[in-house]
Amino acid sequence: MSGRRSRGSVSEEEINELISKLQSLLPTARRRGGSSSSSSQASTAKMLKETCSYIKTLNREVEDLSDRLTDLMATMDQNSPAAEIIRSLLR
Amino acid sequence: MDAKGAPLPTPPSPNPSSGSASGAIDAPKPMLAFHFLRALSRVHAGPARRRTRTISRAAYSSMARAAGPRRAWSRALLRQAQARRSTTLASRRAAVLVRRRVAAGPAPPLALPRLTGRSSGSSGETSAARAPLLPPPPPAPRQAGEPARSDALRRLVPGGAGMEYCSLLEETADYVRCLRAQVQLMQGLADLFSCQ
Repeated sequence: MSGRRSRGSVSEEEINELISKLQSLLPTARRRGGSSSSSSQASTAKMLKETCSYIKTLNREVEDLSDRLTDLMATMDQNSPAAEIIRSLLR
Repeated sequence: MDAKGAPLPTPPSPNPSSGSASGAIDAPKPMLAFHFLRALSRVHAGPARRRTRTISRAAYSSMARAAGPRRAWSRALLRQAQARRSTTLASRRAAVLVRRRVAAGPAPPLALPRLTGRSSGSSGETSAARAPLLPPPPPAPRQAGEPARSDALRRLVPGGAGMEYCSLLEETADYVRCLRAQVQLMQGLADLFSCQ
């Protein structure tokens, strides 16, 4: 990995490899009739766009869950079993 | 999830092979849970104002801590969190600058027109911008063939502005994995708390 970075330019195959690895992470990993099309600019751009929207979705979920957790924590009973579990984990 | 039961004062050292299915080194879930739960208990003990924001910030910092300093995005997040913590003690002006910066979310600060001064050391309390400034983002894509869409990605991934395209893709993959794990953790916690 470090050997790749020390070279001046990165080969396109490596980039395509990274992009397909990224693509497999996305929830919408549709195999569009052969992965050899990943070298075209269009699908790369589309993939990046999907990645951006996925990250934004995850950020929004973090915010929503923080909201939920805030409410839940406010109403959480100090002696509830869940609180007890957490306290014992952090002891 | 056996690692969570160990009552150690220090967190267990992250074991890369402990649970990630993808073959790449990832933040193991017990570490994520440990850091986040610890942060949550601090939030619970603290003031009740603006808890949502505190919790969401705690989510990102604990994510970064669990990932450790070997990733550029986690280093960037930790730097942001550190800047936030330290400028609460510093001058009002500095605090406003940092708040504006981090209010943009986990994205790294772009070249805002208001950023003044560059602090060389890490212990300057009164300098206006205590956080280390990232290099100004390149106006054009860095590498030939890099699509314009990568600028948006650079803004979303912490520390993405100064990276090579290749590293950006790697960091993005790791960031997405950790972010997803963090969301799963929080979801599990919310479910746990809501069914007592």
